[in-house]
Amino acid sequence: MATSPDLENRPATYDNDPTKTIVETRNLGKVYRDFWGRKEVQALKSLDLEVRRGEIFGLLGPNGSGKSTTIKLMLGLLFPTQGRVFVFGKEATDVSKNERIGYLPEESYLYKFLNAEETLDFYGRLFDIPADVRRQRIENLIKMVKLEHARKRQLKEYSKGMTRRIGLAQALINEPEFLVLDEPTTGLDPLGTRDMKDLILRLRDEGKTILMCSHQLADVQDVCDRVAILHQGELKELGRVDSLLKIQDLTEIHASGLTDDAKRQIREIIEKTGGKVDRMDNPTTTMEDLFLEIVKESEQRPGRRGGRGGN
Amino acid sequence: MRLNPDHFWTYGEWLFQHNALRDGAILSVVLALLGFVIGYIVSVFKHGPSEGFLRVSQIIGQLFTVDLPKMSFRRIYAVAKLAVKESIRKKILVLIAIFIVAMMFAGWYLDPDADSPARLYIVFVLTATNYLVILLGLFISCFSIPADIKNRTIYTITTKPVRPLELFLGRVLGFTAIGTFVLATMGLLSYVFVVRGLDHGHQAASLDPTGRAGETSFDSRHRHTFTLNSEGRGTTNEAKGHRHIVTKVGDKVVVGGPIDDLTARIPIYAKGLSFTGRDGEKNEGYNVGYMSEYQKYIEGDSLSRAVWRFEGVDNSLFKDVILYDLTISAFRTYKGDIVTPVGGLIHFRSSDGRVKSEDEPFKVKEFQVDRRSVRTKLKGFIDDKPADLDFFKDIAADGSFEVVIRCQDRGQYLGMAAADIYLRPADLQFWWNFVKGYISIWLQMFIVICFGVMFSTFLSGPVAVIATVAALVLGFFGFFVDTLVNTTSKGGGPIESLIRLPTQMGSQIDMELGNETLQKAITFVDRGILLAVSQLKNAVPNFSQLDTANFVAYGYNLFGGLLARHLTIAFGYFVLTALVSYFFLKTREMAA
Repeated sequence: MATSPDLENRPATYDNDPTKTIVETRNLGKVYRDFWGRKEVQALKSLDLEVRRGEIFGLLGPNGSGKSTTIKLMLGLLFPTQGRVFVFGKEATDVSKNERIGYLPEESYLYKFLNAEETLDFYGRLFDIPADVRRQRIENLIKMVKLEHARKRQLKEYSKGMTRRIGLAQALINEPEFLVLDEPTTGLDPLGTRDMKDLILRLRDEGKTILMCSHQLADVQDVCDRVAILHQGELKELGRVDSLLKIQDLTEIHASGLTDDAKRQIREIIEKTGGKVDRMDNPTTTMEDLFLEIVKESEQRPGRRGGRGGN
Repeated sequence: MRLNPDHFWTYGEWLFQHNALRDGAILSVVLALLGFVIGYIVSVFKHGPSEGFLRVSQIIGQLFTVDLPKMSFRRIYAVAKLAVKESIRKKILVLIAIFIVAMMFAGWYLDPDADSPARLYIVFVLTATNYLVILLGLFISCFSIPADIKNRTIYTITTKPVRPLELFLGRVLGFTAIGTFVLATMGLLSYVFVVRGLDHGHQAASLDPTGRAGETSFDSRHRHTFTLNSEGRGTTNEAKGHRHIVTKVGDKVVVGGPIDDLTARIPIYAKGLSFTGRDGEKNEGYNVGYMSEYQKYIEGDSLSRAVWRFEGVDNSLFKDVILYDLTISAFRTYKGDIVTPVGGLIHFRSSDGRVKSEDEPFKVKEFQVDRRSVRTKLKGFIDDKPADLDFFKDIAADGSFEVVIRCQDRGQYLGMAAADIYLRPADLQFWWNFVKGYISIWLQMFIVICFGVMFSTFLSGPVAVIATVAALVLGFFGFFVDTLVNTTSKGGGPIESLIRLPTQMGSQIDMELGNETLQKAITFVDRGILLAVSQLKNAVPNFSQLDTANFVAYGYNLFGGLLARHLTIAFGYFVLTALVSYFFLKTREMAA
């Protein structure tokens, strides 16, 4: 269970136990107000979710659904107007939690007048990393994101794909335990997207926890272990990707070597004899279909939570 | 330039006797309380009274428990380095080019007939540098953090373990570093400009038949006369604020380069000045009207005297001659012979009055420094009997002595203040005084940067500029604000003036609105506004006091004590702005 009705009643030590969850939001809400304090928009309503150690967690939702707000609340860039958010058991406003976090913002908001090396050196210093370690990491990261040829070029000369790559490198400069990736594949070509996805999986395999939000549903489907789907500031779906995509009341058979006659009588053939059944499983939909279906449902019946997935 | 009594306060006197420490502490406490109360009120609206109190207390607590102890120099350096790169990217070094161009054309506009070209040149370079550097500080500091917020680059910084104070310190240090570089370059260029601009030579144009006196050629719009001693050495008279050394080599008279134009006098001032009236009784000196606020006067041809008391004068500072400067003025009650200056007599005497030197007559040189000297072996009187005296054995045996001046001309007055006579043991190197003048400018720039960064932590760039300029204006024209608040100015305060203007009610008559309550209310609100402005003025540094260009221009050593005071003031404002910035950075939603 990702959401728990009795979160508030958990013992305090739970929050401080780093083995269980990396991020935990409790009844988290955010209202944007204007200069005079008048309510402008409720960006997030009572969000309860957990990001667990070692998983890739996807945050999905259409524009304005509250994804970015959730991430900004987790990072302490915004303060909640309701509820609380804990990262590594600490309040999100606690600066010390940032030592274990890597963040790739949506647009790679980096200083365009710095080159790749200077960028990584700057962010490395912000983590108080000693010079020799910093130098080694910069070397490795530049190699990893394949920017050796452009290491001395100012970022303003970079293509969008290169900017994403240097953005990712800066997010990894502190060897973080928890990575927050906002639209990591945006602007990348298919090859770059593949590399990025492989890298995300590799980082997960190395034991890092990853929270990513993306519009590229296929990417989410490919890499995420669990997803949360937000719409209009509300959590609409939460669960394991494989469970969410499974269509329970249908059976799919992949068969080969059947004659035309056998195909016509396939039901009987399976029940009785003949042919070779290669695979028998529940068919799956795509993340895109699921996403569109949830958004449609949500618009028809606001405030109701879907009930497809498991943990 | 006139030195005021407060210029002579030592650092300790300023800090303790003249309450700088107390005033600073009061200002800090008031601002801290104000910050807490405002922070609490804002927090109450957001979180309710108890949670609000808790949050504000947490922020204050975290400053001392986490944010200060866990500050990292490496992070501060990173932010500072970024600020420097950002400034260079903004092409602020172009300012140096503008300055060079300004200096290239300055020669056209600086009055070549000025009495003291050195003063003119120095004031020009110092003032130009001062304004340019303050503008530089203003613009680089006010736009940096707002630009980061606008471009969202701040997201990648505040999601790192960067603490609010590190962000403030890094920015301030970075901008100060780039400002220092610009200032140092300008200072170097200015020094070359001043020294080269004033350098000139003369030829000996004529020599009288004795071969001991003559006149130089007319160059750089002036000429000098000179006298030579038996060894063929001498100096010219003073013209345009300088002299030349003249040497006779064989039959040829060689006139050297200018001296005394770029000086940094280290004056030894008297510990006190007392007066006696025309009847010989002690008094406070005569007041001849508004112009005499600074100086008091003695009456001519009477028992009226001015007596300066010197203490702790070390004889090792002087050899055969004691150099001293006079800057006293005259007040004529009748025109008389306007060409002939008012005359006076001066003598030195021991503290007990038993030993005194002979009276030496002098003519008052108004509006200029009268450079004078007295030999250490001199004639005088011991117990009114003529005697040959040794200054440091007979008159100033214990290092203390008195200087007595009286006015010779009946009906005329001589004006003087404590600083109008001082001994000149040795001069400081001019370049070092010049550097000190630039340190003063640096301090002003530093304060502007601190204020700019502070305002930019909670205001947008243009608004931060306006706020910093407002602080600067209040700082530069603090005395005007004082006049507004402390004196009963005609026409009332801002609201009353607003009523008087459209109704064409003259400022000479009392305001009559026909409603006494309304009138009282207006006066009350006006007084409140003026008081608030006055308090605001106290919260910003007095920039006019920090401006020390005149010390350098008029050739006075910029006292170490004065510079130390200015350093302390700058440090005080640095701490203050750091705390305000901390509070705003800590409570601000960077992504809002």
